[in-house]
Amino acid sequence: MKAGRILLLLAGAVVLEFFVGRSPYRRFLPVDWFLLATATVARSGDFVRAVLTGTAAGALEDALLGQPLIGVNAFAKAILGYALALVSVRVVFGGAFAVGLALFAASIANEAIVALLSALLAQAPLVIVTPDALWRALATGIAGGALESAWRFPWGEWWQRRRLRRLR
Amino acid sequence: MRPHNARVEIAAVNPRRGGAVLATVLVACVLALSAQAPARSGRGSVLQSWVLSLSAPVAGAVGSVSHGVSDAIGSTIALFHAREENERLRRELDARERELLQLRAEALAVAEGSKLLGAGSALPGVLGSVPILLVEHRAGAQNALIGAGSSDGVSPGCPLAVPAGIVGRVVTVGRGVSRAQLLLDASAAAGARLARTGELGVVRGDGHGSLVLNNIATTSSVARGDMVETAGIDGIYPRGVPIGRVESVSRGSKLFLEIRVTPSADFSRLTDVLLLAPSPAIKEGAEAGRSAAR
Repeated sequence: MKAGRILLLLAGAVVLEFFVGRSPYRRFLPVDWFLLATATVARSGDFVRAVLTGTAAGALEDALLGQPLIGVNAFAKAILGYALALVSVRVVFGGAFAVGLALFAASIANEAIVALLSALLAQAPLVIVTPDALWRALATGIAGGALESAWRFPWGEWWQRRRLRRLR
Repeated sequence: MRPHNARVEIAAVNPRRGGAVLATVLVACVLALSAQAPARSGRGSVLQSWVLSLSAPVAGAVGSVSHGVSDAIGSTIALFHAREENERLRRELDARERELLQLRAEALAVAEGSKLLGAGSALPGVLGSVPILLVEHRAGAQNALIGAGSSDGVSPGCPLAVPAGIVGRVVTVGRGVSRAQLLLDASAAAGARLARTGELGVVRGDGHGSLVLNNIATTSSVARGDMVETAGIDGIYPRGVPIGRVESVSRGSKLFLEIRVTPSADFSRLTDVLLLAPSPAIKEGAEAGRSAAR
């Protein structure tokens, strides 16, 4: 994936996080847009860009969410970028469900890494699986699956068939 | 559209390269996080505590080396100072030892003089003690150089004695030293008296460390061991100072006995002698000489 597209992805994630993340609907759709951006880059199989994108996305997330320790999400998403790139290279899978499941697991892992780092460095209580984290992972998985479905959907054929139906 | 670089694309999908980048990123993140996280001690950050923990042994080693080097330099400087001080102290010690020797000699001389004066208090007209500087034994002449002269009140004819007995008399007086004729000299003589019988004679030196008493008649009852003392009839020596004891008496072929006398004074150990006042006859003679000279 080209660097320009990566920047566009990150910018989109920032915009969505900024608007949706601060919206009153945040509790109902707490999607980790930065994880989705990282996963999108990692799906191309480029390890270096996946890691760097994960780092940048995590740093932006820390900055936007006002984390007390800037870098915990960068640390977690760099690892997840590498792991997702490895999965996309080594494992052949497809379908919205598989992508959603992978993103669910990645989101849980992200929360676990962040919780572990916070416990180690900020002496915070170590709570890995919280309802919020589960809900966030679920939302991220659903959003990822939906995006995968939308990405894979044959929009051109659907549009042709729709036109043909109207013409008849 | 830009052409694809196949080599770059292959490198990008290489997990090892991605792993290296991941490791670098993770290390950077850990450093950034540790710089923000507060240390458990409450002072500074975790990164600072890590840096301090890692640098503590190095700082300790550097400190130890620094201390060692500074100690070595200090020891070297101290060694040079110690050498200089050692030389100085050695010189001072030598000077002190010389001074001590001198003081000891002076104290010994004073003690000897005091002892001599104390012991010689029975002698008549003691003026003081004077040191013997030189004793000459040469062809029957036995002289001594004494460390006192006219400035010390010494005049020609002053008798010299030790507590044990008479020694001789001053013959030549200088400003600080004087020459004395010992009684053992072959040309020295003194009026003598046998203490037991009261007979008068003349004691002469034989030039070889012994004395001879002359002019004692053969009728005398002198015996070995009799005390011989000055008679005070010679105008030089005062009366009653011991001269010696009779060692042997022989008749000989003349009218007088041949009497050998062992001196009371130990002439071989003369270091200090007592200066006695000169006889009144000598004083008168000296004043008469000075008047005639005027």
